[in-house]
Amino acid sequence: MDRSLIIGFGNIDRADDGVAWHIVNSLRRRLGEKRLDEDNTGLEELGSHVDSVFLTQLAPELIDTLAGYCRVIFVDAHIDEGMDDLYCSSVPPESAPPVLSHHVTPAMLLALTCALHGRAPAGYLVSVRGYDFDFGRGLSARSRELVEPAACKILQLLEDSSRKGETLSTCTDKSG
Amino acid sequence: MGKKITIEPVTRIEGHGRVTIHLNDQGVVEQTFFHVDEFRGLERFCEGRPYHEMTQITQRICGICPVSHHLASAKACDAIDRVEPPRPAKLLRELLHMGQMVQSHGMHFFYLAGPDLLLGFDADPAIRNVVGIIKANPELALKAVNLRRYGQQIIERLGGKRVHPNFSVPGGVNTPLSQKDHREIAAELKTMTAVAVEAIGIIKGWLDANRHLAAGFASFPSNYMGLVNKEGCLELYDGDIRIKDSGGNLLAQFRPDNYLAYVAEHVEPWSFLKYPFYRKLGWPGGFYRVGPLGRLNVVDRIGTPMADEEFKYYKSINGGRPVEGSLFYHYARMIELLYCLERIGELLDDPDILSNDVRAYPSARLPGGGVGVIEAPRGTLFHDYSVDENGQLTRVNLIVATGNNNWAMNVAAGMVAKAYVNGNKLTEGMLNRVEAAIRCYDPCLSCATHAIGQMPLDIRLIAADGTLLDRLTR
Repeated sequence: MDRSLIIGFGNIDRADDGVAWHIVNSLRRRLGEKRLDEDNTGLEELGSHVDSVFLTQLAPELIDTLAGYCRVIFVDAHIDEGMDDLYCSSVPPESAPPVLSHHVTPAMLLALTCALHGRAPAGYLVSVRGYDFDFGRGLSARSRELVEPAACKILQLLEDSSRKGETLSTCTDKSG
Repeated sequence: MGKKITIEPVTRIEGHGRVTIHLNDQGVVEQTFFHVDEFRGLERFCEGRPYHEMTQITQRICGICPVSHHLASAKACDAIDRVEPPRPAKLLRELLHMGQMVQSHGMHFFYLAGPDLLLGFDADPAIRNVVGIIKANPELALKAVNLRRYGQQIIERLGGKRVHPNFSVPGGVNTPLSQKDHREIAAELKTMTAVAVEAIGIIKGWLDANRHLAAGFASFPSNYMGLVNKEGCLELYDGDIRIKDSGGNLLAQFRPDNYLAYVAEHVEPWSFLKYPFYRKLGWPGGFYRVGPLGRLNVVDRIGTPMADEEFKYYKSINGGRPVEGSLFYHYARMIELLYCLERIGELLDDPDILSNDVRAYPSARLPGGGVGVIEAPRGTLFHDYSVDENGQLTRVNLIVATGNNNWAMNVAAGMVAKAYVNGNKLTEGMLNRVEAAIRCYDPCLSCATHAIGQMPLDIRLIAADGTLLDRLTR
């Protein structure tokens, strides 16, 4: 089955860092699905044609989940002035040397999936510019304006990639 | 003309750090600074809020060790409420803590330390990573993933969520352990213990094969701090704080709520993170190390059979004196991993673990205050709250584990920079060694944001007049 997984990640207690939570919930509303509250990641409800979850961080144990999808769209905030405020790109599996952090990047997660399963979903990133990362809930006005366009972008991405007939790809080079 | 190399920032989700290496005219390292630039405003943010919200608020400091903040906060709230949680609640809190320790220690060893140790400090960065480890040993990598998952699932079973659990409350915990969860945690314990034993074999083999490097790499005398129980054994959830000097002599042992009589904090203008030290020895002579190496250097023994056997070898490394080399943190971390898995077995075997008596109801006397101290994966973590007559927080003081190791990381980075960095010909391997010195301490520089683009690695070689001479990024 041609399944897609949307993974929003961030910290809803650090203002715009939690923008993906708002985007995922906007998407779920459009898909007629129940809103994720802060105590529900959505990981317990997987099994639809399009699944969506919101996580505080990406973690290695997600690789078993990823291996069952044709495509995964990561949703996060960004702070790069050089990127479009609403940024969309493909994410190839890519490993990088460890620095200090326990955090796992989308590219690394795909590379891990490739390395351990020999296949991985096509990866995409939809990212919204964040302006305020202070303690507190709610979004800055400029990030809030990007929530609905980001949800539309994800829907368009799903439609386009489905039309292309994207399938779960086999990794030829396990290093990604 | 002097030069300056800057590595920035060196973390991602946990915060923002920089390493600045100052060179002299000959390109030789003169001084190194490990800066933490992010202002940790959480303490001020919490003031005015009801204290009983703190178990949920403070764990959101970090997505990496939220359980530690959750539990330290719960203990501080117990103290404010002057309530002693029932024994089953303490056992369940400790079980939650063990889940956190297992996932964190496992993640660090296999994902962060492993690539350097198993593939080499100078290996091509394209392969010196966890995927490189998978290629080299896919079976081991799968075990590492499962070990982390096991720890996370303990947290999820008890706390309802993998990252920010809703479990501990002032006076205990809000849910007893179900028979089903007990059975499922127990079912995988033997397998996970075998992974810990394998990891110990790997790090011991590496240390043996690289004896000279391990002995000299960021090796320096310091004081050490950690919690101990009444028998002087390793304690991660409760107990007294013990401080020993570089010779292994006892400097102090005290109840955590007396910490201000023993611990003070030094401030440097170039870092937002403070530098705690043992008050009686003053600054900088009183700086100490915490975390796995600090803990194993203060305990008399571990307290579980297999980890105690391993501890005998650990103690022999420096003839019974404290072990000083930063790379031995990795070994100490794996001994602790083994301890945590053995301790999970002990907790599951305790008949009280399935009791429904998991909460005592408090009667706070306000205004007041409370201190909660716990051993987080990275070291001793202090939560200290004062509240007014309405139960609103008037003062919050947090000393995080990484703060306790702040000066030690500075020293470690400086020693390695002096030993390996040649300012006239900067290589990725040199940079990686400086990072590896800091990585031994598994720092968490604070605070749970992780926007895309936040974390390029940027090394700059700058002349004294500000001219950019060289730059490495990744």
